[in-house]
Amino acid sequence: MNDLLALPTMPTAQATPQASSSALLRLEGIQTFYGALQVHFGLNLHVCRGEIVCLLGGNASGKSTTMKVILGLVKPRAGRVLFDGQPITGLPTPQIIRRGIGSVPESRRIFPEMTVRENLLMGAYTRADREEVRRDYEQMLERFPRLRQRLNQRAGVLSGGEQQMLAMARALMGRPKLICMDEPTMGLSPLFVDRVLDLIQHINQQGVTVFMVEQNANLALQIADRGYVLQNGHIVLEGAARDLLGSPEVRDAYLGGDAR
Amino acid sequence: MPEFTLRAFADQLVNGLVIGNIYALIAIGLALIFGVANLINFAHGSVYMIGAYVGWVCVTGLGWSLGPTFIVVAVVCGVLGVLIERFGLRRLQSEARIAPLLATIGISFALDQLVQLIFSPNPQSFPSPLPATRVMLGGVSIGALDALIAAITITIAAALFAFLRFTRLGWALRATAQDREAAQQMGVDVNAINALAFAVASVLGGIGGVMIGMYFTSVYPTMSYGAMVKGFAANLLGGLGSVPGAVIGGLLLGLIETFGVALFGSTYRNLFTFVILIGVLVLRPTGLFGAQRAMPPEPLTGTFVANSKPVRIPWFVAIGGLVAAALLPFISSNPYLLQIFTNAWLFAMLALSITLVTGTAGQMSLGQAGFLAIGGYASALLAMRLGWPLELSLLAGAAIAAALGTLLMWPVFRLRNQYVALATLGIGEVINQIILNWEGLTNGVLGLSNIPPLSLFGLPIVETAPIYWFALAMLVVAALFQWRLTQSHLGRTWRAMREDEVAARAFGVSLHRYKALAFIAGGLIAGLSGAFTAHMYSYINNETFAATTSILGLTMVILGGMGNMSGAVVGAIALTALPELFRPLADARYLLYGVVLLLLVRFRPQGLLGTV
Repeated sequence: MNDLLALPTMPTAQATPQASSSALLRLEGIQTFYGALQVHFGLNLHVCRGEIVCLLGGNASGKSTTMKVILGLVKPRAGRVLFDGQPITGLPTPQIIRRGIGSVPESRRIFPEMTVRENLLMGAYTRADREEVRRDYEQMLERFPRLRQRLNQRAGVLSGGEQQMLAMARALMGRPKLICMDEPTMGLSPLFVDRVLDLIQHINQQGVTVFMVEQNANLALQIADRGYVLQNGHIVLEGAARDLLGSPEVRDAYLGGDAR
Repeated sequence: MPEFTLRAFADQLVNGLVIGNIYALIAIGLALIFGVANLINFAHGSVYMIGAYVGWVCVTGLGWSLGPTFIVVAVVCGVLGVLIERFGLRRLQSEARIAPLLATIGISFALDQLVQLIFSPNPQSFPSPLPATRVMLGGVSIGALDALIAAITITIAAALFAFLRFTRLGWALRATAQDREAAQQMGVDVNAINALAFAVASVLGGIGGVMIGMYFTSVYPTMSYGAMVKGFAANLLGGLGSVPGAVIGGLLLGLIETFGVALFGSTYRNLFTFVILIGVLVLRPTGLFGAQRAMPPEPLTGTFVANSKPVRIPWFVAIGGLVAAALLPFISSNPYLLQIFTNAWLFAMLALSITLVTGTAGQMSLGQAGFLAIGGYASALLAMRLGWPLELSLLAGAAIAAALGTLLMWPVFRLRNQYVALATLGIGEVINQIILNWEGLTNGVLGLSNIPPLSLFGLPIVETAPIYWFALAMLVVAALFQWRLTQSHLGRTWRAMREDEVAARAFGVSLHRYKALAFIAGGLIAGLSGAFTAHMYSYINNETFAATTSILGLTMVILGGMGNMSGAVVGAIALTALPELFRPLADARYLLYGVVLLLLVRFRPQGLLGTV
């Protein structure tokens, strides 16, 4: 059934069988429920090492729940999640994080009553290599000079854009192999949106694989390698970002509201 | 004699600060738990009391010195805290916040009763092993114990501050308190952090217990409840969940109380606490120093009414049960049995009142016994002082309870969820304290004796069987009244308000008015029950309708099913009659109540007959 719905798949370079072996993250046949309400109907997707993959979809399409399934915050009723070839389905969130997944949660979720410095170091909570953590910390302040100016301020007083920087820096402090971002551009001014997108590309060039959920398809597809379009819990479209960007199907399936 | 007054002032200042130190210790523990688990932990006072008893056993029983005593107390209480979290509360994490709160009440009932069973309910003398010498410091006299208490508290507060500020685990604890889900996404095992918070809080509580035991040279099982409430008053004063706020709140409360007692007398001690508790809840729920912190988000529903299909009692079963109840005096003339069931009917009325306020209207009330007390005192006083006939004084008692009680409950109406529970508890306690302190009217601790007996149309009712029928008849009338209300437009509005306050308001429901109506209707029924009780016993005092009565009534309601009227009656019968019928259980009844409450919340939140 799912195959039928996923029919209008773009022929792309990346979505080839060889991806299956080198996939860093893989979701197979995920079915999720909130009570009696089904959210995912056999979701399949994968993220290869070094890629930026974005998951697009409108409201209530199941995007954020997908993120929660990966992070172990929501347990799927069927299907499995593989990370680095190992099943992580059903593991508690902290253990999933320890395997090398960093999270930039929806609406940032920095710790408002803690200082910027404490927030950054919380990102390295799972690490025991103190010297390396110190080095990464310095590096992070190089990369985000704004944060250095505000090291001892409560994170809650930062602007939205600064909080987004902090959330990303915090996730990077854990030295993740994969970083999951839930709507990283939400609620930001256009200027900051561009900065965030640059940053994501930059992070990616440093060797971190990126999986992001976005509502703003045009922006996300500009920097992504591949994309999936989720609609009512089904992947209705997948393919290379540049193909999706121009495709009328994306409009129909997802940007319908915008095209009106 | 200006010098004398200055001396007295300085001494009171020291007393206040010493007591305040201990309140601060309790308040810090409650703040940690509230911060991390978003839970008002009613079992905290019991941990503190157990700490005091462990200290007493070590010092007085085993003759140990204070060093090893404190270590043993810390270990026992720390382990106890972890056990409470792990086995009592962890499974309730995802439930509405009121569920673990009720579980902590159950745990505290059980622990208090256990200590009572082991060490008797009587106070035990706990002399301080420290030398009694006092040092004069700039005109202020300071004892060895005063100095020790101050030193320990300050050391603990400093260590805790350093832990929270400078250690990874401390950061993890604060991160969990601020955003549980985000902390998990940093790799923090929030369950372990929860347990850690309970452990640290319980250690602090236990040490506080030992110190207060030595300070007042006695330990007793019921010291738990007062400490819990004081800890919370201190906590609220400084800002719920804030550790520095807890320290300042504790010291302030200690000073206010000590000076208050010095000025007005010792019976006023608790009144200050409760007035502060309610004053802060009403005027400044974020506390004196918590201005920038928003109130923690609370789910919209006022109470946890688990989804369930209520058991429908067919009309012939209801009628059959009623007939059987009415015929009971003919079946058995055992006066003891009839007395028990009379009590059950009176408790059923309390349970009906709670199920209306808490189940139907969604206002978690832990102070419903206050309505019993007002009804009882009003009716007794009208009959005694003004010579009113009983029929009239009963009805007037009920009406006064409804009016006055609802007026006193008014500050609660703008609060939600856990705060409602805390505030209603405080208001119930204020009613109790007023009764205790308004000696001219209520005769204070001595209580009212020689209350005219029950009578009807001038005929005294003193035999057990007629009293039984009288109580049963009142219950039936009350039940019919309540049934009529809940089936009306009013009942629908109450349920709408319970399900979603915001939506109900959006549809133009004036929440305050409907909450008031629920308390008035419930207050009438509870007030009638209290009035009847006063005349039946011919003696009442401030302890006849203690706070535990409110919680017992709530347990009955949860047992039967929230909002379920037949459930309330079944719950009342089960919890009044059963422990009496199985005599060996009667001594441990609060242990039973506590365990029942704990098990219900965990395994059958919809109760026996289901929620309505």
